[in-house]
Amino acid sequence: MEKSEILSRVKEVVGQVLSMDVSEITDEANFIFDLGADSMQSVELVAGFEEEFDVELDQDKALEVQTINDAANFVAEYV
Amino acid sequence: METLFHPKSVAVVGTNKVKGTVPHDILDNILKTDFEGVVYPVSPREKSIKGIKAYKYVVDVPDDIDLAILVFPSSVCHMALEQCGQKGIKAAIIISAGYKEVGEAGLAREKQLIEIARKYNMSFIGPNCLGVINTDSRINLNASFAREMPETGNIGFLSQSGALCTAVLDYAIAKHIGFSKFISFGNKADISEIDLLYYLMEDEATKVILMYLEEVSDGRALMQAARDVIEKSGKPVLVIKSGRTDEGASAAASHTGSLTGKDEICDAAFEQAGIIRCNNLEEMFNKAIAFAYQPPPVAEKVAIITNAGGPGVLTTDAAISNGLRLARFSEETTKILKSALPATANINNPVDVIGDARADRYTAAIQAAFEDDDVDGVFVILTPQSMTDIDTIATEVTKIAEGQTKPIYASFMGARDVASGVNILQKHKIPHYTLPESMCISFRTVHHFHSSLKQKRAGVPTMDRIQAELAKGLMDKALSNGREYIPEVETIEILKAYGLPAPQGKLATSVEEAVEVAEQIGYPVVMKVVSDQIIHKSEVKGVELSIKSAEDVKAAYQRIHENATARMPEATIKGIYVIKMISGSEEIILGIKRDPSFGPVLMFGLGGIFVEVFKDVSFGVAPLTLEEAHDMIKKTRAYKILKGIRGLAPRDIDAIAEALLRLGQLALDYPQIEELDINPMFVLDEGQGSVIGDARMILNKTL
Repeated sequence: MEKSEILSRVKEVVGQVLSMDVSEITDEANFIFDLGADSMQSVELVAGFEEEFDVELDQDKALEVQTINDAANFVAEYV
Repeated sequence: METLFHPKSVAVVGTNKVKGTVPHDILDNILKTDFEGVVYPVSPREKSIKGIKAYKYVVDVPDDIDLAILVFPSSVCHMALEQCGQKGIKAAIIISAGYKEVGEAGLAREKQLIEIARKYNMSFIGPNCLGVINTDSRINLNASFAREMPETGNIGFLSQSGALCTAVLDYAIAKHIGFSKFISFGNKADISEIDLLYYLMEDEATKVILMYLEEVSDGRALMQAARDVIEKSGKPVLVIKSGRTDEGASAAASHTGSLTGKDEICDAAFEQAGIIRCNNLEEMFNKAIAFAYQPPPVAEKVAIITNAGGPGVLTTDAAISNGLRLARFSEETTKILKSALPATANINNPVDVIGDARADRYTAAIQAAFEDDDVDGVFVILTPQSMTDIDTIATEVTKIAEGQTKPIYASFMGARDVASGVNILQKHKIPHYTLPESMCISFRTVHHFHSSLKQKRAGVPTMDRIQAELAKGLMDKALSNGREYIPEVETIEILKAYGLPAPQGKLATSVEEAVEVAEQIGYPVVMKVVSDQIIHKSEVKGVELSIKSAEDVKAAYQRIHENATARMPEATIKGIYVIKMISGSEEIILGIKRDPSFGPVLMFGLGGIFVEVFKDVSFGVAPLTLEEAHDMIKKTRAYKILKGIRGLAPRDIDAIAEALLRLGQLALDYPQIEELDINPMFVLDEGQGSVIGDARMILNKTL
């Protein structure tokens, strides 16, 4: 799968979980600092990525991911 | 620092709408307590919080901001701080946890915060703290996640523990104890307790300073700050330092080391700096309210007014055993009491107004006591008997206390029935104590503090007869070959160069020389093996006492050599130390121990059983004033022996004090000295001086 496709699907998941317009989400956006994700939403995001890409992510490492870009790279390791 | 406590505008960075979370509750507290400045919520996702426009980033706020309160998780807090710097904010409170307290990764994050703060010339409190409260009505700032704002008062509270703050606030609110500033400083990555002490020294709203510390990272700076605060502002500094136990002491190598627990040093250092150390919160607040609410007593004579004999006796006992005295009433006072009280009342001190007393009897007795010149303070004791009008008596006490120049404390004994009366007293700032004992201790503490304020700390004396060049040469030699343990002869030479009384004698490297030395100094002599490898000389039978002739010297020389060689064949024997034997003296121990927090610490104790069994030793942080050196000696139980008991002549206490001062100078000049023992030191009769019996030193090779 192309990195650009992963990135765009990651943004869609983030948009859904955080109830945001995808256009507001930049590649460098930090989940907490820029997007305001709280701890519950962070867990929901990881579950959302697993469902979207049909993979099982390492939970601890997934929760350490800070930005949209990092999330796309992390997911790419599994797909 | 002023911006931290008196901001005109505050941004809460990382706040949200979720009730019961720190980011929400901090903003909520600021709004609830009617903060006089402007508040800007900064939240990545919210457009508004509590009807106030929120900003995505702090840099988006169009106005200037004085203070930022950061509540983001530690993983992104540095990003928020960076933006605060870009925005030109100069003060911050970092509430977030997840720093030094969680280990290496946290420590790295904390260092990152410090770097950002330095880059933008910002100051911050925290991280990992509860926040800051300023009760000044011109500000009304509750920038904390405490449940409630305390009353306005004149007590400044500093705490290393955030959670303890919430307990303290709860305790204080229940007892109507007010605060000027309430500060949880957490990990003190930037602003430390020392900075805050100096701030509270200048703070006009603060009259009493309380501190809770879990560790003392720079003991000498803390001592200096406390001394400055006390001397320049006259404000008492009360400290709870937790972690009293210490298992490390027993692992230390020398005698001084094994007798020196960190907590004992902390105790001594606090006392030396004038800090009032408290064991628990109750003791701290018992003393704090006495300082905060009432004028200090001029002297220690009290009048006790009670409605029951037993409690009067209890209070008298507590007063006397805490160094207070009962005032002796004048004829005038006695006359007034006689006319105001029933015939069955006790009109002498303690005054018993009798169990059926109503407020009028208390009023008359308290008033008369206040007006008596011999009374320095009044204690009001009440027991709840069926006819006792508790609330009215409490109200009368608060009225009489108004405008008095003498202090009045109360103890309404009991719990349930006296509760509302106690509440009246506490509301009107009459120090109240459940137990008369606490009342007396608090009175004594205030009196002692104010008496010592009048006595200015003398300067540290400059010691004469120090041969600095000679000492330096000897120390250089001791340090030159990477040794840690420096044996007797070399240590004594260094001590001698510092003007300490070395014994008469010399190192002899042959039998002939040993005899020559003995003949020269006169008999009896003591002979001791000298070897870098032999630390415990008597364990290798390397010491012989009371040698009275040349023949005995020869035989002893031979025996010591044989014993030492047989018991420690690997030891290189440098010779035998022949010194004059001292008799008719008292044996003491003096020492230096370097404390990681307080630096060079001096130890004094009487030798033998006093040290071994009773651990009857005292400590002082170098440099000492002459008075402090004497205080160290007076603090021990052994002092009475040195002063001379049962017809024995007093010993030369001045010589001990001088030796302590000289040791202090040596310890300050050579930070490489880790530990030094003079054990024993022979103290002769008053005016005759003292003589070192044995000494050794442990050096720190890394310095």
